[in-house]
Amino acid sequence: MSQENREPEPNLKGTLVSVFIVGLIIIVMWIAVYLMYVAR
Amino acid sequence: MIAVQDRKLALWNIGVAYAAFLIGTLCGLLQVFIRNDALQLPAWLDYYQILTAHGVLLALIFTTFFIFGFFITGMSKSLGSFGPKVRLFSWVGFWVTLLGTVMATAMIVAGEASVLYTFYAPLKASGFYYVGLALVIIGTWISSFALVGHYRVWRKNNKGQLSPLFAFMTITTIIMWIIACLGVVATVVFQYIPWAFGWTDTIDVELSRTLFWFFGHPLVYFWLLPAYMAWYVIVPKILGVKVFSDSLARLSFVLFILFSIPVGFHHQLTEPGISNFWKFLQVVLTFMVIVPSLMTAFSMFATFEIAGRKNGGKGLFGWFTKLPWKDIRFTSIFIAMAFFIPGGAGGIINASFQLNEVVHNTLWIVGHFHITVGTPVAMTFMGLTFWLIPYLTGRKFTKAMKMLGLVQIITWSIGMLLMSTSQHILGLLGAPRRTAYSGYNNHPSAMEWFDGILTNHVTMAVGGSILFVSAMILIYIVVMTMFLSPKAIEEKDLVDFPMAESDMSRTPKWLENWWIWIGLAVLLIAVAYAIPLSHMIQHAPPGSEGFKTW
Repeated sequence: MSQENREPEPNLKGTLVSVFIVGLIIIVMWIAVYLMYVAR
Repeated sequence: MIAVQDRKLALWNIGVAYAAFLIGTLCGLLQVFIRNDALQLPAWLDYYQILTAHGVLLALIFTTFFIFGFFITGMSKSLGSFGPKVRLFSWVGFWVTLLGTVMATAMIVAGEASVLYTFYAPLKASGFYYVGLALVIIGTWISSFALVGHYRVWRKNNKGQLSPLFAFMTITTIIMWIIACLGVVATVVFQYIPWAFGWTDTIDVELSRTLFWFFGHPLVYFWLLPAYMAWYVIVPKILGVKVFSDSLARLSFVLFILFSIPVGFHHQLTEPGISNFWKFLQVVLTFMVIVPSLMTAFSMFATFEIAGRKNGGKGLFGWFTKLPWKDIRFTSIFIAMAFFIPGGAGGIINASFQLNEVVHNTLWIVGHFHITVGTPVAMTFMGLTFWLIPYLTGRKFTKAMKMLGLVQIITWSIGMLLMSTSQHILGLLGAPRRTAYSGYNNHPSAMEWFDGILTNHVTMAVGGSILFVSAMILIYIVVMTMFLSPKAIEEKDLVDFPMAESDMSRTPKWLENWWIWIGLAVLLIAVAYAIPLSHMIQHAPPGSEGFKTW
């Protein structure tokens, strides 16, 4: 498809930040239980 | 509107689903009160009977019948009305599944099958319980083949075309389900049934559990994929936008065929008899299954952002406020998705080899599946129910019902938040699962678990009670929309099946070449299971006789 015909890309900055937040929740929960495992 | 006969088929499936839901949630309420010492059961009924009925009726029966009701409606809508053969086999599948359900439930009620829904050997139920479960699986296979037949007719008439997204996703789920069931069918037919009827004296416990979890993990995806279908196909339509990416949606679904099955060992990480290498390999494969789930999360956020911006949302998160929060069809599914964030994160913890030792046999796991199947899946199904039943019955989804729907979703969320948070914390402290309440002879360490604000018995009982009230509101909505709400006569009152447009113009055709995905799935299964399974069979320990602990 030529450059002129392409639809403008949607603005997905909020999506990018949102998925980073999801990633952060996963990492924080994982580390919390990992520390518990190490402590035991 | 789909054909009357197809509507009837779907409605019967959904009706049975909610009958199971009613009994199953009542069993849940009873458990909470028994654990709280607020209720003494009569002599003919015990805790484990109720626990088994709760698991079987909600996790297996409610989900299965609802899923087929949803599939039948969506397949008839997206591919056209069913032919007579498809209809006939769908009915045969329905009745066989129902017969199996009645048989298994009767055995639980009779006190002959208090073995919980995972029916771990060497706990031994009546042989008829296992026959009932086998019939449930066979029934779903018949219903599945009926839908595959319908799809094949469509493909024949539309050569070279990609099928509509809903149909594609239905077939993906069915392929995964049929492959997954091979494990449970093998163990039930060749191990449990001969053993339970006394034709063999002992059972190989490790093999039975391994074959069960070959099925047990993809079972989770059998629940989850129909919910994902709603997220991918229904939600964009409610928001007034197209599916974010047709290729992404299809790719994420076929990845589930590949990675949801060769991962069962992550449920068996604490078991001896499987070497660490094979456990580790399957843990790695389990982490692969996170990929399509995160693709789904990305796709959902993108759908929300595009819709919100279209409605005038500005800035980084302005779109969030522009979503249709007053539309119960959307709000219910959004909350379901939100619950899946900690639910999914918990799943990653469970599957992480060493971390599993912290949580394995604890109430954490119970909390985990209440915020995975119990909310993201169940609440998505609730969100679908609100419009699916009126769509099928041609009745109105009245303002009063919409309000009640909102109350139902909010109460379910609050109840689940209280109950599952308490279960997660109690699990981390060490409280066991699969047992009735135990204070270990009032040992101070065990007593301390229940001192917290969130972990005391009262909070759990309040949470459980709110959930039950919510379930009864839902049953009321189901009965009203199925039988009593006024008929929608005017065009504006007709409830629609929201199915979003999906741009297939740039979707590669190989995504719908099933032989690629089935072939790769078989290969991965062979890599992950062939050697450990053959070791298990060749070096089998002495079998175990059956135990009836109740």
